[in-house]
Amino acid sequence: MSSAAEARFRVQAPNSLPRSIKVIALDGSGEAVVRRVAASGWRRATFFTMEPGDAGLSDLGGGRRSIAQEIESADLVILVAGPGGQAHAAARIGEACSRVRVMTTGLVVGGAAASDTALSKTLAQLRPWSLMLVMAGNDDYIDDMMTALRA
Amino acid sequence: MLKKEQNDLLTQTGPGTPMGRMFRCYWIPALLTSELPENDCPPVRVKLLSERLIAFRDTDGRYGLMDEFCAHRGVSLWFGRNEQCGLRCPYHGWKYDVTGQCVEVPSEPEASGYAKKVKLKSYPLVERGGILWTYMGPPEAPPPLPEWEFITVPPPQTFTTKRIQESNWLQAMEGGIDSSHVSFLHRGDLNSDPLFKGAKGNQYNLTDQRPVFEVVESNGGLYIGARRNAEGGQYYWRITQWVMPTFTMIPPRGNHAVHGHFWIPIDDENCWTWSFDYHPIRQLTEAELAAMRDGKGIHVRYVPGTFRPLANKDNDYLIDRAAQKAGRTFSGVEGIAMQDASLQESMGPIVDRTKENLVSTDNGIIMARHRLLRSVKAFVEKGTVPPGVDTAHQKVRSAAMVLPPDVPFTEGARDALIAQPAVAPASV
Repeated sequence: MSSAAEARFRVQAPNSLPRSIKVIALDGSGEAVVRRVAASGWRRATFFTMEPGDAGLSDLGGGRRSIAQEIESADLVILVAGPGGQAHAAARIGEACSRVRVMTTGLVVGGAAASDTALSKTLAQLRPWSLMLVMAGNDDYIDDMMTALRA
Repeated sequence: MLKKEQNDLLTQTGPGTPMGRMFRCYWIPALLTSELPENDCPPVRVKLLSERLIAFRDTDGRYGLMDEFCAHRGVSLWFGRNEQCGLRCPYHGWKYDVTGQCVEVPSEPEASGYAKKVKLKSYPLVERGGILWTYMGPPEAPPPLPEWEFITVPPPQTFTTKRIQESNWLQAMEGGIDSSHVSFLHRGDLNSDPLFKGAKGNQYNLTDQRPVFEVVESNGGLYIGARRNAEGGQYYWRITQWVMPTFTMIPPRGNHAVHGHFWIPIDDENCWTWSFDYHPIRQLTEAELAAMRDGKGIHVRYVPGTFRPLANKDNDYLIDRAAQKAGRTFSGVEGIAMQDASLQESMGPIVDRTKENLVSTDNGIIMARHRLLRSVKAFVEKGTVPPGVDTAHQKVRSAAMVLPPDVPFTEGARDALIAQPAVAPASV
């Protein structure tokens, strides 16, 4: 059933369509990570920051983008924030995702050295809107996560 | 997905491979102590990390683990005579002590000293908690002996079994930290398995079948928290421990024993699944032990005289389609252990991770691979001791707790995630 010989005869045809992943920095810590990772050149991921006052999304070139339109075309939204930052925008993005049933992942970067208070503050903002929440000690985790998700 | 070279890196553990070298930093379980029950008992063949070895217990009760094959003509020493503080090859009588040192070559004059020039590769074998542990790394730098809580409690409080799994170690281990499969594959067992049923926490599992997951790095590996709604806006948390490279501990239920696993590579296409149950503050009951011996919980029933599960791939895991259709089991395979093993073996001996389609709830698996890759790189390039070698990383517990909604589980369960003698586990 599962011999090496059997494994050789598994169908090799592609078995999934590309997914669209939107990566959104919610605060300054998140933005630093998002700008770094965006430079790696991903095929199926686009990257954003929040406009001042959380009015809308901004692409990394500074262009204004509609939250609703970007979310509607997404298969997965990754929210990136640092512990203790201003991650209020999680609610706006989360509500938009919830309306169109788009999966959300929260990623807290630089959490290893964070105080419980700072972490608690960010968790309170992200938890209601994240169906998966990751606290990564190293900022390079997002690279591996996006590769694993075929971004 | 992983790139092919990453998949190869993580799944290959033979001598000289990067991952094999890292595995050789740890004390790993090699045999149950009961496999060598008395002095001068028959030797046992052991294959670990793609090395064929022989284990024996000599006349003075010393344990040895060494190259399976006689240095003379390559005969398997499994046929050997265990006598007078050594294992003697039955072909021409060459004899070895527990360190692998040849002590007799009958055809050569004793005065020639030839025997002293022959030594088989050997590894230390030490008994802790009913398990014989070995360290297969450089002999000049052994790590401290293992201190997992389940092997340090008094013997009546702990029970361990092992079984052969016909898959690479990594896909088996990844099943242990894949909390999202429990609501499907094992949903029929919470109310029926004697080692799980009756806990209050089971009701949270059954009433909220859409858990939300949080993955947090720990010093030794990862915490994987599964959160479900509880009364009064609080959350019911189940927190799994993964300690590098291959230890997992499942959150407890009620006053049941706590359980967990090691997945130890036999070779690249097979592994030993070690399964333990223990209770930190009480003896296991006769009923619990009887259930474990009968293959309940995370244990299995065996093909007699072997460590091969009775339900295995040659009999389609005794699949019961009627039970599947009726909902008594979700996959048709009976028992939590074989429900997992059957599906993991069906993935192929080494699953091709270049073809998989991971989703967001797989972040526990993604993070584990990330940590393994990072650690093996640091170990190979800089000699950095990998997480999990330090015994402080081993003194951990899983936990099940109800916490306020704004509390990080790493804060609310901080004490509960550390093994403390004579302190009850945090369980619901």
